[in-house]
Amino acid sequence: MPAVSKVKNHSIARKSLRRTIFFVALILLAGSTFEPYNQAQLALVLILFIGVLSVTLLTGISGQLSLGQGALMAVGGYCMALLMTNLSYSLWVAIPLALVGSALAGLLLGVSAARLTGPYLAGTTLVIALAIPTLANRFMSVLKGDEGLPVDVGYPPVWFTNLFGEPSYEQWQLYVALPFAAIALFFASNILLSRTGRMWRAIRDNETAAALSGVNFSRQKIIVFVISATFAGLSGALYGLRGLVGPSVYPVSLSLLLLTAAILGGIRSIFGAFIGTVIVVFLPDWIDAVLHQFELSEQVSNFMPALVSSLLLILTVVINPAGVAGTHLHKHK
Amino acid sequence: MDTFLAALFSGTSRGAIYALVALGLVIVWRGAGILNYAQMGQAMFSTYIASTMITNGNSYWLAFVVAIFVGAVMGALLDILVMRPLSNKKKTELLSSESMRAAVPVIASLGILGVLQALAGIIWAAEERGFPSPYAQEGFTVAGTVMPFTSFDVFVISVVLTTLLLTSLFFKKTGVGLAMRATALNAEVARLSGIRTNFTRSLSWAFSGAASSLAGLLITPTSNLSPNTLDLVLIIGFTAAVVGGLDSPVGAVIGGFLVGMVISFVSFYGAPEDVFLAILAVLILVLIIRPRGILGAKDARRV
Repeated sequence: MPAVSKVKNHSIARKSLRRTIFFVALILLAGSTFEPYNQAQLALVLILFIGVLSVTLLTGISGQLSLGQGALMAVGGYCMALLMTNLSYSLWVAIPLALVGSALAGLLLGVSAARLTGPYLAGTTLVIALAIPTLANRFMSVLKGDEGLPVDVGYPPVWFTNLFGEPSYEQWQLYVALPFAAIALFFASNILLSRTGRMWRAIRDNETAAALSGVNFSRQKIIVFVISATFAGLSGALYGLRGLVGPSVYPVSLSLLLLTAAILGGIRSIFGAFIGTVIVVFLPDWIDAVLHQFELSEQVSNFMPALVSSLLLILTVVINPAGVAGTHLHKHK
Repeated sequence: MDTFLAALFSGTSRGAIYALVALGLVIVWRGAGILNYAQMGQAMFSTYIASTMITNGNSYWLAFVVAIFVGAVMGALLDILVMRPLSNKKKTELLSSESMRAAVPVIASLGILGVLQALAGIIWAAEERGFPSPYAQEGFTVAGTVMPFTSFDVFVISVVLTTLLLTSLFFKKTGVGLAMRATALNAEVARLSGIRTNFTRSLSWAFSGAASSLAGLLITPTSNLSPNTLDLVLIIGFTAAVVGGLDSPVGAVIGGFLVGMVISFVSFYGAPEDVFLAILAVLILVLIIRPRGILGAKDARRV
């Protein structure tokens, strides 16, 4: 029996690794052909992809709807920014430490919120998403209020430029985000394919049946929150590295954007999370390209992306709840 | 003492509006088992319609009635166009589990909120505009000091109390009200007893839409009107509904006044930015101590 499960573990890890390598190759290929603006957009896709994965794990896999992922992103961002500005750590040290901070926040949230269900959980996390950014004004001296803490990805180290040549700022943004996105993808894929993922899906589908099959569901729910918060914190830290960590960077609408992306792509699969992120990031550009041909007032074109993505959200939920990724992809993930 | 009285007065008039919002949430929750996050989006939309009518020279009271009617129609339409097809899709894989059945309508209502806000932005532009009040907004003087309590606040409180009274009479004394309560209690049994549950569900949505439009009309004169202004009101209304018990209309009213008082006292005695943290604290406290709310029924959904 142990031998069998060992073989299985190997094959799971190998499958996840194959996916990750394919993903990295795809991004590198796309990144080298895009012009600077789209490279920055692609970096944003990678950053938000990690956040959308946190929604996929929490809502799609374990069935707990959270509207407060933006608050957890803010926790990750602020932890990293404080370490970088006050202790002048490099981002490669600050981000892993920030993950510990957001995991702790997730633990706190999980312990207090894991017994809530459905609309209660959604409402409570929505209030959290609104309340956490106001802490920046409450602790003005440390968190600098509305001004926030400016941070950025800085410049590539010497060995990198020697090896690969001088990247542009946009390319460097992309290369910083890529390893983190790859690690996140590898972990998410492993979780979904393994015993843990099966336990979470069992909780989602029927708590009583899961408990009868020996799943300690209250503990697993807290673990889901911690892992999902770590993903969200990583996404938030990278999101802050685009220039600023402040309350205006992590509004409630950011949490809703992540949820929209997860639903549009397909809330139960990693592939869906990626497709959904691509859609929400590039949708404003696509709409702009289409509307450009018509003479429309600024008023219309400003609100068009929000209108289209909300309409897509409703249509997806009502007509095709499985999202772009489709049902057949969900079976064994 | 003056600050105390001021906070008390402002808490009462604000609390009345939050009670109305909470009541709207509770009616849909009882009638359809859905927490409608788009509710204040609907209110924002109908308030914009009223505002446009008033600027075009119509009387305030005509706009008032039209806005409430539009709110009711919009509520019923949302049920028929979005929520009913959704609840008929229970067989699909995504909706096969209980947790997702509770989550998906929430997501749909967030989508509706997004659509309404974007539409309002496209139609009326995003800049804030004022909204008139039918009565003077000058504070009464009590013992030499001007209190934050105006004749408009008297109007607000009396309108809200009348609405609450009429709603409770409607649910208790009329046949339709009885049918709605039966559907809320057990939709399957209600249908078997010959109640058109689809109709009563849509009626719940219409009621809630009318109540929240009324809340929008009553709250915008003291703040401003923009596509996003009422989001905060929804969150406060949600807290009020949870505090009072999501399935209890009377609880919603108590919760509304309670949360109104908390917000008013925090903003008078503390800093305005602490209001959000105070709301969060109240919500978490209630969910830990009494998850069913003050007047929540025993057989409510397990939390």
